Amino acid sequence: MNERAQDWIFWIAATILVAMIVHLGSIYLLPRVVMMRALERLGAANIMHVGKRPTSASHAIVRPSPDILYATCPYDLSKGPLRVTTPVIHTSYWSVSAFDSNTDNFFVKNDQQTPAASLELVVVERGQAWPKLDNAVERVILFSPSEKGLILIRTVIDDDKHIPAIEASLHQARCETVASAPKLR
Amino acid sequence: MHVAVKIAGALVVGTALGLAATWFVTGRGGMGDNVANGPWKTSLVVGSPQSDPYTRARVALHGLLALNRKETIYFTAETDSDGAALNGTCRYEIDGRDPNTRWWSITAYGSDDYLIPNPQNLYSVSQTSVLRQKDGSFRIAVGGTHAPADMSWIPAGSGPFSLTLRLYNPGPDVALDPEHVVLPTLKKVSCP
Repeated sequence: MNERAQDWIFWIAATILVAMIVHLGSIYLLPRVVMMRALERLGAANIMHVGKRPTSASHAIVRPSPDILYATCPYDLSKGPLRVTTPVIHTSYWSVSAFDSNTDNFFVKNDQQTPAASLELVVVERGQAWPKLDNAVERVILFSPSEKGLILIRTVIDDDKHIPAIEASLHQARCETVASAPKLR
Repeated sequence: MHVAVKIAGALVVGTALGLAATWFVTGRGGMGDNVANGPWKTSLVVGSPQSDPYTRARVALHGLLALNRKETIYFTAETDSDGAALNGTCRYEIDGRDPNTRWWSITAYGSDDYLIPNPQNLYSVSQTSVLRQKDGSFRIAVGGTHAPADMSWIPAGSGPFSLTLRLYNPGPDVALDPEHVVLPTLKKVSCP
Protein backbone atom coordinates (compact mmCIF):
# COMPACT_ATOMS: atom_id res chain seq x y z
CA MET A 1 0.00 0.00 0.00
CA ASN A 2 1.40 3.36 -0.86
CA GLU A 3 1.82 6.21 1.60
CA ARG A 4 -1.00 8.25 0.12
CA ALA A 5 -3.56 5.46 0.60
CA GLN A 6 -2.39 4.90 4.18
CA ASP A 7 -2.82 8.59 4.81
CA TRP A 8 -6.40 8.50 3.56
CA ILE A 9 -7.32 5.46 5.65
CA PHE A 10 -5.95 7.18 8.74
CA TRP A 11 -8.02 10.34 8.20
CA ILE A 12 -11.20 8.43 7.33
CA ALA A 13 -10.77 6.37 10.52
CA ALA A 14 -10.22 9.58 12.52
CA THR A 15 -13.37 11.12 11.04
CA ILE A 16 -15.42 8.03 11.90
CA LEU A 17 -14.05 8.06 15.45
CA VAL A 18 -15.02 11.73 15.87
CA ALA A 19 -18.48 10.94 14.45
CA MET A 20 -18.99 8.08 16.94
CA ILE A 21 -17.89 10.18 19.91
CA VAL A 22 -20.16 13.09 18.89
CA HIS A 23 -23.08 10.74 18.21
CA LEU A 24 -22.87 8.84 21.51
CA GLY A 25 -22.20 12.04 23.45
CA SER A 26 -25.21 13.80 21.95
CA ILE A 27 -27.48 10.79 22.61
CA TYR A 28 -26.30 10.83 26.23
CA LEU A 29 -26.67 14.59 26.69
CA LEU A 30 -29.93 15.09 24.81
CA PRO A 31 -32.39 13.98 27.57
CA ARG A 32 -30.48 16.00 30.17
CA VAL A 33 -30.56 19.17 28.06
CA VAL A 34 -34.24 18.67 27.13
CA MET A 35 -35.15 18.16 30.81
CA MET A 36 -33.14 21.18 31.95
CA ARG A 37 -34.91 23.40 29.42
CA ALA A 38 -38.33 21.93 30.33
CA LEU A 39 -37.73 22.63 34.03
CA GLU A 40 -36.87 26.24 33.18
CA ARG A 41 -40.01 26.62 31.05
CA LEU A 42 -42.25 25.17 33.78
CA GLY A 43 -41.41 28.03 36.15
CA ALA A 44 -39.92 28.68 39.58
CA ALA A 45 -38.58 25.71 41.51
CA ASN A 46 -40.15 24.26 44.66
CA ILE A 47 -43.59 25.77 43.96
CA MET A 48 -46.66 23.97 42.60
CA HIS A 49 -47.87 25.30 39.26
CA VAL A 50 -51.40 24.36 38.18
CA GLY A 51 -51.77 24.28 34.41
CA LYS A 52 -54.78 25.11 32.26
CA ARG A 53 -56.30 22.42 30.06
CA PRO A 54 -53.82 21.95 27.17
CA THR A 55 -54.68 23.49 23.79
CA SER A 56 -52.74 24.02 20.55
CA ALA A 57 -51.15 27.04 22.30
CA SER A 58 -49.58 24.83 25.00
CA HIS A 59 -45.91 24.47 24.08
CA ALA A 60 -44.21 23.90 27.45
CA ILE A 61 -44.01 20.12 27.01
CA VAL A 62 -44.31 18.04 23.82
CA ARG A 63 -47.45 15.95 23.19
CA PRO A 64 -49.60 17.21 26.07
CA SER A 65 -52.92 15.43 26.59
CA PRO A 66 -55.96 17.70 26.26
CA ASP A 67 -57.85 15.23 28.47
CA ILE A 68 -55.61 15.73 31.48
CA LEU A 69 -55.18 18.57 33.93
CA TYR A 70 -51.57 18.81 35.06
CA ALA A 71 -49.92 20.34 38.12
CA THR A 72 -46.14 20.57 38.14
CA CYS A 73 -43.47 21.27 40.70
CA PRO A 74 -39.94 21.61 39.30
CA TYR A 75 -37.70 20.88 42.27
CA ASP A 76 -34.19 21.71 43.38
CA LEU A 77 -32.97 19.91 46.50
CA SER A 78 -29.82 22.02 46.96
CA LYS A 79 -31.46 23.99 49.80
CA GLY A 80 -33.05 21.00 51.51
CA PRO A 81 -35.59 18.21 51.02
CA LEU A 82 -38.90 18.87 49.27
CA ARG A 83 -42.30 18.28 50.82
CA VAL A 84 -45.28 17.75 48.51
CA THR A 85 -48.79 17.56 49.94
CA THR A 86 -51.74 16.87 47.68
CA PRO A 87 -55.36 15.80 47.85
CA VAL A 88 -56.02 12.47 46.09
CA ILE A 89 -58.80 12.50 43.50
CA HIS A 90 -60.66 9.19 43.35
CA THR A 91 -63.35 9.99 40.77
CA SER A 92 -61.11 9.46 37.71
CA TYR A 93 -57.52 8.42 36.98
CA TRP A 94 -55.17 10.47 39.16
CA SER A 95 -51.45 10.01 39.67
CA VAL A 96 -48.43 11.76 41.11
CA SER A 97 -45.10 10.95 39.50
CA ALA A 98 -41.48 12.02 39.85
CA PHE A 99 -38.87 12.45 37.11
CA ASP A 100 -35.13 12.95 37.55
CA SER A 101 -32.90 15.26 35.53
CA ASN A 102 -32.28 12.39 33.12
CA THR A 103 -36.06 12.21 32.30
CA ASP A 104 -36.44 8.82 34.06
CA ASN A 105 -39.76 8.28 35.82
CA PHE A 106 -38.47 7.04 39.21
CA PHE A 107 -41.77 7.12 41.10
CA VAL A 108 -45.48 6.97 40.39
CA LYS A 109 -48.52 6.35 42.58
CA ASN A 110 -52.13 6.48 41.36
CA ASP A 111 -55.44 6.97 43.11
CA GLN A 112 -56.22 3.24 43.25
CA GLN A 113 -52.98 2.68 45.16
CA THR A 114 -53.78 5.57 47.54
CA PRO A 115 -57.05 5.09 49.43
CA ALA A 116 -56.32 8.07 51.72
CA ALA A 117 -57.85 11.46 50.91
CA SER A 118 -54.43 13.10 50.80
CA LEU A 119 -50.83 12.11 50.28
CA GLU A 120 -47.52 13.56 51.36
CA LEU A 121 -44.23 12.98 49.55
CA VAL A 122 -40.86 13.91 50.97
CA VAL A 123 -38.19 14.02 48.28
CA VAL A 124 -34.56 13.75 49.37
CA GLU A 125 -31.31 13.18 47.59
CA ARG A 126 -29.26 10.17 48.56
CA GLY A 127 -27.22 11.08 51.60
CA GLN A 128 -29.52 13.96 52.52
CA ALA A 129 -31.14 13.68 55.95
CA TRP A 130 -34.91 13.95 55.81
CA PRO A 131 -36.83 16.17 58.18
CA LYS A 132 -38.42 15.03 61.41
CA LEU A 133 -42.12 14.86 60.70
CA ASP A 134 -45.23 13.76 62.51
CA ASN A 135 -46.76 10.39 61.74
CA ALA A 136 -50.31 11.53 61.19
CA VAL A 137 -50.42 11.41 57.40
CA GLU A 138 -49.90 8.94 54.56
CA ARG A 139 -46.34 9.71 53.56
CA VAL A 140 -43.81 8.38 51.08
CA ILE A 141 -40.10 9.17 51.29
CA LEU A 142 -38.60 9.39 47.80
CA PHE A 143 -34.93 9.21 46.96
CA SER A 144 -34.25 11.40 43.96
CA PRO A 145 -31.34 10.21 41.79
CA SER A 146 -30.56 13.85 40.96
CA GLU A 147 -30.61 17.22 42.70
CA LYS A 148 -33.11 18.63 40.21
CA GLY A 149 -36.25 17.02 38.84
CA LEU A 150 -39.99 17.30 38.53
CA ILE A 151 -43.11 16.28 40.44
CA LEU A 152 -46.09 15.90 38.10
CA ILE A 153 -49.72 15.41 39.08
CA ARG A 154 -52.13 14.17 36.40
CA THR A 155 -55.92 13.99 36.60
CA VAL A 156 -58.04 12.67 33.76
CA ILE A 157 -60.92 14.93 32.69
CA ASP A 158 -63.56 12.20 32.37
CA ASP A 159 -66.27 14.85 31.90
CA ASP A 160 -65.89 18.57 31.14
CA LYS A 161 -68.35 19.28 33.98
CA HIS A 162 -65.73 18.05 36.47
CA ILE A 163 -63.03 20.55 35.43
CA PRO A 164 -63.78 23.15 38.17
CA ALA A 165 -63.66 20.49 40.91
CA ILE A 166 -60.42 19.00 39.55
CA GLU A 167 -58.83 22.46 39.28
CA ALA A 168 -59.89 23.30 42.83
CA SER A 169 -58.28 20.10 44.08
CA LEU A 170 -55.03 20.71 42.13
CA HIS A 171 -54.86 24.23 43.58
CA GLN A 172 -54.74 22.69 47.06
CA ALA A 173 -51.57 20.79 46.23
CA ARG A 174 -48.43 22.26 47.81
CA CYS A 175 -44.73 21.87 47.26
CA GLU A 176 -42.06 23.47 49.48
CA THR A 177 -38.49 23.17 50.67
CA VAL A 178 -38.18 21.94 54.26
CA ALA A 179 -35.18 21.95 56.58
CA SER A 180 -33.22 18.73 57.03
CA ALA A 181 -33.09 17.28 60.51
CA PRO A 182 -29.81 18.13 62.24
CA LYS A 183 -27.24 15.36 61.71
CA LEU A 184 -26.82 13.02 64.66
CA ARG A 185 -23.40 13.06 66.25
CA MET B 1 -0.45 23.51 7.65
CA HIS B 2 -1.66 20.43 5.81
CA VAL B 3 -2.07 18.46 9.00
CA ALA B 4 -4.02 21.29 10.66
CA VAL B 5 -6.45 21.37 7.72
CA LYS B 6 -6.87 17.58 7.91
CA ILE B 7 -7.52 17.67 11.67
CA ALA B 8 -10.07 20.45 11.20
CA GLY B 9 -11.66 18.47 8.38
CA ALA B 10 -11.92 15.30 10.46
CA LEU B 11 -13.47 17.27 13.36
CA VAL B 12 -15.98 19.15 11.20
CA VAL B 13 -17.01 16.19 9.04
CA GLY B 14 -17.03 13.81 12.03
CA THR B 15 -19.17 16.18 14.11
CA ALA B 16 -21.61 16.65 11.24
CA LEU B 17 -21.87 12.89 10.68
CA GLY B 18 -22.31 12.22 14.41
CA LEU B 19 -25.09 14.80 14.77
CA ALA B 20 -26.75 13.60 11.56
CA ALA B 21 -26.82 10.07 12.97
CA THR B 22 -28.39 11.39 16.19
CA TRP B 23 -30.99 13.35 14.22
CA PHE B 24 -31.72 10.29 12.10
CA VAL B 25 -32.24 7.86 14.98
CA THR B 26 -34.25 10.24 17.19
CA GLY B 27 -36.36 11.85 14.48
CA ARG B 28 -38.38 8.78 13.61
CA GLY B 29 -40.37 6.08 15.34
CA GLY B 30 -42.08 8.34 17.88
CA MET B 31 -41.21 7.35 21.42
CA GLY B 32 -39.68 4.09 20.31
CA ASP B 33 -40.99 1.40 18.07
CA ASN B 34 -39.81 -1.96 19.30
CA VAL B 35 -43.44 -3.16 19.52
CA ALA B 36 -45.81 -2.83 16.56
CA ASN B 37 -49.51 -3.66 16.63
CA GLY B 38 -50.93 -2.76 13.22
CA PRO B 39 -50.14 0.95 12.73
CA TRP B 40 -49.74 1.42 16.51
CA LYS B 41 -46.17 1.42 17.78
CA THR B 42 -44.80 1.58 21.29
CA SER B 43 -41.77 0.80 23.40
CA LEU B 44 -41.96 -1.30 26.55
CA VAL B 45 -39.27 0.63 28.36
CA VAL B 46 -40.63 4.18 28.01
CA GLY B 47 -40.20 6.18 31.18
CA SER B 48 -38.40 3.47 33.09
CA PRO B 49 -34.84 3.62 34.36
CA GLN B 50 -34.25 0.44 32.30
CA SER B 51 -34.70 2.35 29.06
CA ASP B 52 -31.63 2.42 26.82
CA PRO B 53 -30.00 5.75 25.90
CA TYR B 54 -31.64 5.73 22.46
CA THR B 55 -35.19 5.22 23.78
CA ARG B 56 -34.53 7.85 26.46
CA ALA B 57 -33.38 10.35 23.82
CA ARG B 58 -36.41 9.66 21.62
CA VAL B 59 -38.83 9.93 24.55
CA ALA B 60 -37.19 13.22 25.62
CA LEU B 61 -37.91 14.63 22.18
CA HIS B 62 -41.32 13.10 21.43
CA GLY B 63 -42.87 12.12 24.76
CA LEU B 64 -41.15 13.86 27.64
CA LEU B 65 -42.59 12.97 31.08
CA ALA B 66 -44.21 9.76 29.84
CA LEU B 67 -45.16 7.24 32.51
CA ASN B 68 -44.01 3.62 32.67
CA ARG B 69 -46.14 0.94 31.00
CA LYS B 70 -47.91 -0.32 34.14
CA GLU B 71 -49.32 3.16 34.55
CA THR B 72 -49.89 4.19 30.93
CA ILE B 73 -49.12 2.64 27.56
CA TYR B 74 -48.64 5.14 24.75
CA PHE B 75 -49.21 3.77 21.25
CA THR B 76 -48.28 6.12 18.40
CA ALA B 77 -49.45 5.80 14.78
CA GLU B 78 -47.65 7.72 12.04
CA THR B 79 -49.23 5.64 9.28
CA ASP B 80 -52.63 4.14 8.48
CA SER B 81 -53.31 0.39 8.60
CA ASP B 82 -51.88 0.06 5.06
CA GLY B 83 -48.61 1.72 6.01
CA ALA B 84 -49.18 5.08 4.24
CA ALA B 85 -48.06 8.21 6.14
CA LEU B 86 -50.90 10.11 7.82
CA ASN B 87 -51.83 13.48 6.29
CA GLY B 88 -54.52 15.81 7.66
CA THR B 89 -56.01 16.60 4.26
CA CYS B 90 -57.10 12.95 3.95
CA ARG B 91 -60.04 11.45 5.81
CA TYR B 92 -59.42 8.42 8.04
CA GLU B 93 -61.66 6.26 10.16
CA ILE B 94 -60.78 4.57 13.44
CA ASP B 95 -63.02 1.60 14.22
CA GLY B 96 -62.96 -0.48 17.33
CA ARG B 97 -64.11 -1.42 20.78
CA ASP B 98 -62.86 -0.34 24.18
CA PRO B 99 -59.42 -1.81 24.84
CA ASN B 100 -58.99 -3.52 28.21
CA THR B 101 -57.93 -0.50 30.21
CA ARG B 102 -59.27 1.80 32.89
CA TRP B 103 -59.50 4.76 30.52
CA TRP B 104 -58.27 5.58 27.01
CA SER B 105 -57.87 8.57 24.72
CA ILE B 106 -56.77 9.17 21.12
CA THR B 107 -55.10 12.52 20.33
CA ALA B 108 -53.77 14.04 17.09
CA TYR B 109 -50.41 15.87 17.03
CA GLY B 110 -48.71 17.87 14.30
CA SER B 111 -45.19 17.13 13.10
CA ASP B 112 -43.95 19.59 15.78
CA ASP B 113 -45.38 17.25 18.49
CA TYR B 114 -47.95 19.85 19.63
CA LEU B 115 -51.76 19.87 19.38
CA ILE B 116 -53.02 20.97 15.96
CA PRO B 117 -54.85 24.35 15.91
CA ASN B 118 -58.42 24.17 14.58
CA PRO B 119 -61.49 26.44 14.87
CA GLN B 120 -63.46 23.82 16.81
CA ASN B 121 -60.67 23.30 19.38
CA LEU B 122 -61.03 19.55 18.95
CA TYR B 123 -57.88 17.59 19.67
CA SER B 124 -58.90 14.18 20.96
CA VAL B 125 -61.58 11.60 21.65
CA SER B 126 -61.74 9.55 24.84
CA GLN B 127 -63.51 6.60 26.36
CA THR B 128 -66.00 8.97 27.97
CA SER B 129 -66.44 11.45 25.09
CA VAL B 130 -66.63 9.10 22.08
CA LEU B 131 -69.94 8.66 20.25
CA ARG B 132 -70.86 4.97 20.24
CA GLN B 133 -72.78 2.67 17.95
CA LYS B 134 -75.75 0.72 19.31
CA ASP B 135 -73.51 -2.29 20.02
CA GLY B 136 -71.08 -0.19 22.09
CA SER B 137 -68.35 -0.04 19.43
CA PHE B 138 -67.11 3.27 18.10
CA ARG B 139 -66.20 4.92 14.79
CA ILE B 140 -64.04 8.03 14.87
CA ALA B 141 -63.42 10.24 11.84
CA VAL B 142 -59.92 11.74 11.67
CA GLY B 143 -58.77 14.52 9.33
CA GLY B 144 -60.71 16.13 6.51
CA THR B 145 -62.64 19.38 6.73
CA HIS B 146 -65.77 18.59 8.73
CA ALA B 147 -67.37 16.16 11.15
CA PRO B 148 -69.50 13.42 9.56
CA ALA B 149 -72.90 12.77 11.15
CA ASP B 150 -73.08 10.32 14.06
CA MET B 151 -69.31 10.07 14.47
CA SER B 152 -66.77 11.66 16.77
CA TRP B 153 -64.23 13.73 14.86
CA ILE B 154 -60.59 14.67 15.35
CA PRO B 155 -59.42 17.35 12.87
CA ALA B 156 -55.78 16.92 11.86
CA GLY B 157 -54.73 20.13 10.07
CA SER B 158 -53.44 20.04 6.53
CA GLY B 159 -50.09 18.31 6.80
CA PRO B 160 -48.38 15.27 8.28
CA PHE B 161 -49.68 14.26 11.71
CA SER B 162 -49.59 11.39 14.16
CA LEU B 163 -52.01 9.89 16.65
CA THR B 164 -51.33 8.79 20.22
CA LEU B 165 -53.53 6.16 21.83
CA ARG B 166 -53.12 6.36 25.62
CA LEU B 167 -54.21 3.46 27.82
CA TYR B 168 -54.32 4.42 31.51
CA ASN B 169 -53.89 1.53 33.95
CA PRO B 170 -54.01 -1.04 31.14
CA GLY B 171 -55.27 -4.55 31.92
CA PRO B 172 -52.57 -7.18 32.55
CA ASP B 173 -53.02 -8.70 29.06
CA VAL B 174 -52.31 -5.31 27.46
CA ALA B 175 -49.36 -4.49 29.69
CA LEU B 176 -47.75 -7.92 29.19
CA ASP B 177 -48.44 -8.39 25.48
CA PRO B 178 -49.22 -5.06 23.79
CA GLU B 179 -48.25 -6.57 20.44
CA HIS B 180 -51.23 -8.91 20.28
CA VAL B 181 -54.12 -7.15 21.99
CA VAL B 182 -56.94 -5.98 19.72
CA LEU B 183 -56.58 -2.26 19.04
CA PRO B 184 -58.79 -0.02 16.88
CA THR B 185 -58.11 -0.09 13.13
CA LEU B 186 -57.06 3.07 11.30
CA LYS B 187 -58.14 3.09 7.65
CA LYS B 188 -57.86 5.77 4.98
CA VAL B 189 -61.28 6.68 3.59
CA SER B 190 -60.42 9.31 0.97
CA CYS B 191 -57.91 11.93 -0.09
CA PRO B 192 -58.74 15.12 -2.01
